[in-house]
Amino acid sequence: MDLKSIITLQNHDGGWPYHKAGGSCTEPTVFALLAQLVSKGDPQSMERGFTWIRAAQRQDGGWPPRPSVAQTTWITALVALLPRDVLGRTHFASAVEWLMGLTGQETSFVYRLRNELLSGDISNAAEARGGWPFIPGAAAWVTPTTFSILALEKARRFDTTGRIQQRIEAGRWFLIDRICKDGGWNYGRSRVLGVEAESYPETTGQALLALNRLQPPYLEKALAAAQEQARRCQSSEGLSWLQLGLQVHGIIAEGPGRQLLCRHVVDSSLQVLAQAALHGNNVFLE
Amino acid sequence: MGCLGFTGCSLVGGRQALPRVSIVRAPAYGPAIYDIVRRLLVEHRVDVRGRRVVVKPNLVEFDPGATINTHPMLVHAALEGFRALGAADVRIAEGPGHRRVTLDLAEAAGYFETIPHFEELFTDLNLDEVSQVLLKDPFSRLNSVYFPNTALAADLLVSLPKMKTHHWVGATLSMKNFFGLVPGGVYGWPKNVLHWAGIDECIADFHAAFPRHFAIVDGIVGMEGNGPIQGNPKSVGVLVAGRDMPAVDATCCRIMKINPASIRYLRLATGPGGLEEAGIKQIGEPIKSVQTAFDLIEPFQSIRL
Repeated sequence: MDLKSIITLQNHDGGWPYHKAGGSCTEPTVFALLAQLVSKGDPQSMERGFTWIRAAQRQDGGWPPRPSVAQTTWITALVALLPRDVLGRTHFASAVEWLMGLTGQETSFVYRLRNELLSGDISNAAEARGGWPFIPGAAAWVTPTTFSILALEKARRFDTTGRIQQRIEAGRWFLIDRICKDGGWNYGRSRVLGVEAESYPETTGQALLALNRLQPPYLEKALAAAQEQARRCQSSEGLSWLQLGLQVHGIIAEGPGRQLLCRHVVDSSLQVLAQAALHGNNVFLE
Repeated sequence: MGCLGFTGCSLVGGRQALPRVSIVRAPAYGPAIYDIVRRLLVEHRVDVRGRRVVVKPNLVEFDPGATINTHPMLVHAALEGFRALGAADVRIAEGPGHRRVTLDLAEAAGYFETIPHFEELFTDLNLDEVSQVLLKDPFSRLNSVYFPNTALAADLLVSLPKMKTHHWVGATLSMKNFFGLVPGGVYGWPKNVLHWAGIDECIADFHAAFPRHFAIVDGIVGMEGNGPIQGNPKSVGVLVAGRDMPAVDATCCRIMKINPASIRYLRLATGPGGLEEAGIKQIGEPIKSVQTAFDLIEPFQSIRL
C-alpha cells in the first residue's frame, strides 16, 4: 500500500482505520499523518487528520486507542511524536505531562516492598524502573517505553527544568536492563522463570531507535542481532522497525530477499517512514 | 441473554445433566480430521443453523512446526464443519498476546495456505472494534473489560486451543484460550493488565462472560515443559471436545496427568467438587487409554496427577 492508497483509506471523520471500512483509531491516524509529513502528503487530508486527533484528546491530556474506549493509553506517546506546532502547543504539552506522570505498576511502593521481602529480588534496581506501561495499572514494557522516550526527546527542547531529560535517561536504563542474551529485545524481560527470552524484530528495532544517542560498544551485539533479524524477518512491520532502528546507528538493514506484505495502514505507513529514513528523514528523531 | 440451544447451559428437564466430553483419536494432521470434527459436532448436537459462529484458534508465535499454534487443518475442519451444519456465518478470529503482526503469524503457521480465502474470513481481535462489558461478580480485580465486537456478536464462540502446559497457570486449554479475546489494541502486547488483575481469576471471568461456547482441543501434538512458547512437542494423538469448557479442560488435564483440582481457574469456574471425573460423562476413548504424562517445570511438579 503506497501513500496514495493510505490517503484513500481516510474516513469521512478525518481519522484512519487499521483496515478498509473500519472505524477511525488513534494509532493508524498518527502513522498515516507521519507518513504524509515525510513525503509531501495531501494538505487537506492532513488537516482533517489533525482535527480528528485534536478532538480525540481526553480531559486527562492523553489519548484513547479509539473513541469507544474511555481510557488513556500508551497511544498518547505516539500522538506526541507529531510536530508540536501542527498538533497544537496545548495539546502537545498536556500529552507530555500525561506521559511524565506515568510509570509501570512495578514502581509502586507496595509492589517493590512485597517483591523484595518475599523473593529477595533486588535486581530491579531503581534505574531499571523508568519504563512506561501500555495502560495505567500494568507493568512497564519495551514498546511503550520506546515511544515515550522518542516523544519526550521531541519535548525536551521546550523544557528548561531538566526533568524531561531525567525521565528519558530513566527510560533508557529500563531498555538497557531489558537487553536479551541474543542482543535484541523481547517485549518485556530478558529472562522469564530462569529461561532466556528470544528477541523480536519489532521491539528490537523500536529499542534501537529509542537508544539513538547510545554509542557502540554498548550496542554492538544489539546491532548485530538486529541485522540478523532483518535477514530472516517475516513481517513488513518488523522489517520497517529494524530499518528505522538500524538507520539511526548508520546501518542499512538487509531484508530477507522476498517481498513482505503490508497488512494495514500502520505497517504500510511504517514502510513509507522507513524508506524516508533511509533517505535521511527519520521522523522519529528530534 | 437467553439460554440458546447450543449454549453451555446443561439443564435438561429440570435436572442437572452431566457435561459430556468427547475424546477421539486423531494420530496426525491429515484429511481424516475433517470427518472427525464433523462427527464431534453431530455427537454434541451443536445446532448452529442460521447462526454466527466465531472460531478462535490459539496463534502465539512464529512457528514452522505444529507445536505452538493450533494447527490450521483443525481450524479449517471446524470452519467446514460449522458451515456444513448450516451456520449463516463462520469467522476465524484471534488476538495474539505477544505479537502484533497477527496475519504474518497466521501466514507462517500455514493458515493462508490451508484455509481458502483466509484473510477475508479472519478478524484480528487485537484491532477489532470494541465494546465495554461489565463483569458480573468478577473473580478478578476487573470490573469491566473491553471485548471485540466480533466476539460479542457471535452466537457461538468456539475455542480451538492447543493442549499445552503453561508456566504461569499450569495448563493452557480451552478456557485460557479466551485471553486472546482481550484486545491488544486497548490493553497492549502483552495484555499485562490481566496479570495484575489475577490470571486465573480473569480466565474464570472470561469463561463466564462468554457462555455460548464450544471447545475442541488440539491434542494431536501438544506442548510439554516450559509452555506455552518454549516447551517441547508432545504427541498425544487426540482431539477433546465438548460444550462445557471446564469439563473439557479437566479431561485434558487428566490426559496430561495433571490434577485438574490443582488448576486454580478450573476450581474458580466450577466451584468445589465440580471437577470430579465421575461428574463428567466421557464419550469415545477412555482417558486411561490416551493418558500420557506431560513434563512439568519445577514450580508445577505438585500438580501432577
